[in-house]
Amino acid sequence: MKLKLYEWMVKPTPQTEWIEKRGILLWLAFYVGGLGGGVYLVSLYFDSLVGILISWLIVVVLKGGLHILYLGHPFRFWRMFFRPQTSWISRGLIFVVAFIGFVFIQLFLAYFKPGTGLETVVAVLAVIMAIGMSIYTGFVMNYVNGIQFWTSSLLPFLFLLCGVLGGFGIVLGIGNFTGGIDLMEVETGSMILMIVMAGLIVIYLTSARYIGPAGKESSLALVKGPIAPVFWIGVILCGIIIPFIVSITSLLGGHPSVGIQIFAILCEITGGLTLRYSVLKGGYYSPLIPVSSLTSSS
Amino acid sequence: MVIDLQKCATCYNCVVACKQEHFLPPLVFWNRVVVSEAGKFPTVTKIAYPVLCNHCKEAVCVKACPTGATHKREDGIVEMIPDQCVGCRYCVVVCPYQQRTYHAHDNKEYFPGQGLTPLEIIGKELYPLQKGTVIKCNFCAERVDQGVKKGLKPGVDREATPACVIACPCGARYFGDLDDPKSEVSKLIKEKKAYSLHLEYGTEPSVFYINR
Repeated sequence: MKLKLYEWMVKPTPQTEWIEKRGILLWLAFYVGGLGGGVYLVSLYFDSLVGILISWLIVVVLKGGLHILYLGHPFRFWRMFFRPQTSWISRGLIFVVAFIGFVFIQLFLAYFKPGTGLETVVAVLAVIMAIGMSIYTGFVMNYVNGIQFWTSSLLPFLFLLCGVLGGFGIVLGIGNFTGGIDLMEVETGSMILMIVMAGLIVIYLTSARYIGPAGKESSLALVKGPIAPVFWIGVILCGIIIPFIVSITSLLGGHPSVGIQIFAILCEITGGLTLRYSVLKGGYYSPLIPVSSLTSSS
Repeated sequence: MVIDLQKCATCYNCVVACKQEHFLPPLVFWNRVVVSEAGKFPTVTKIAYPVLCNHCKEAVCVKACPTGATHKREDGIVEMIPDQCVGCRYCVVVCPYQQRTYHAHDNKEYFPGQGLTPLEIIGKELYPLQKGTVIKCNFCAERVDQGVKKGLKPGVDREATPACVIACPCGARYFGDLDDPKSEVSKLIKEKKAYSLHLEYGTEPSVFYINR
């Protein structure tokens, strides 16, 4: 939506701080956080140490790096630990740092002293942190009550699902190279999640239309407005349809080539990225001027 | 603060006074006038709402801030501590009234390519704004504090009153203690049934409007 200067907060006004200019870094950071958590959860399920290591690297290098680049004063980041009682950003940082710590210990134990009870305890803690890390961005956005599109309680689950789906994709790629992973099981899980994801997106967009005028504007922006190309091509085609076709071909015994599988994985990641983009870009603030003022004067 | 919309002439003097008081860089506004229209020709009405930080009692920015850089003073003013701000901009996004600005560029000139004017240079010394932090209206806390130190009363004495209130040529703005039932603002809110913007957010804004 191209907003004229004098229409600022008179009409539903798009959020720009977290998606334009340096805000792009935050969009990417939010996505890779969810992806890191998802890769960890799926890797743990399929007992892939390489996958766990990759999830750790995604979080440390990509998520950590992007957040540091985004902050206005990155050397003050330690201050963000001390307000978990009210701030979701604080809680998120704790999830991320705890995840990095627990997974590091888990990897260390798995390599040097495998099969200990301590490893299991650390893995359970890491699972909790991975879920927290994947879900907290949804709550961060959920708290912004000026943007009706983000107030849906489905948002955290949508992001968690998106991260896990990306995780299935990455683990599928790992399995193709390292072996030792039941690829059919990965494909089946991935397919089920894609169906759930498609349903959740439909429910999310439909319910957003009834939250209020700004929510409706956001929902329409995704379906047939300025964000529609990104939504339909990125989220629906790349994120759901293409990986679904590849998965179903694979399950029916088609055995697509490694090249096609890598293409499907890249599509899945594009789908996750564009989903986050669409939700962030589609966040419209409700106008400041009360509706009653507009109607009573007319 | 109470703003009487019937008195407001939409002259933007509050906007200019605020920019002068805080030497705000280009495109940064702590006071704005949001203008809309309603109705159809020939009965079109112009609707103008001067807006600024609402200094909410239940400020979401204070709760959302992960560092405590945004805090609420005892007198109710929501203020920033620049040295504690990490520049995450969560407060900018979370404010439903969109009254916060991320100060990204330190050397933005009012006359691009001409360098900073002497006034802009002095402004940076008198009212330094920290790059990479979030800035916002502080109800001219520095004026209020200095005035109170001298024994003056905010909203009554000029030296203890925000610049936008003093600058308003129509006397549309009133400033004072909302907790004091005898203050002018409290009386106005009660008598003229003042309202604040978007009560549904549960933020309990401290800026009220009179429209009758």
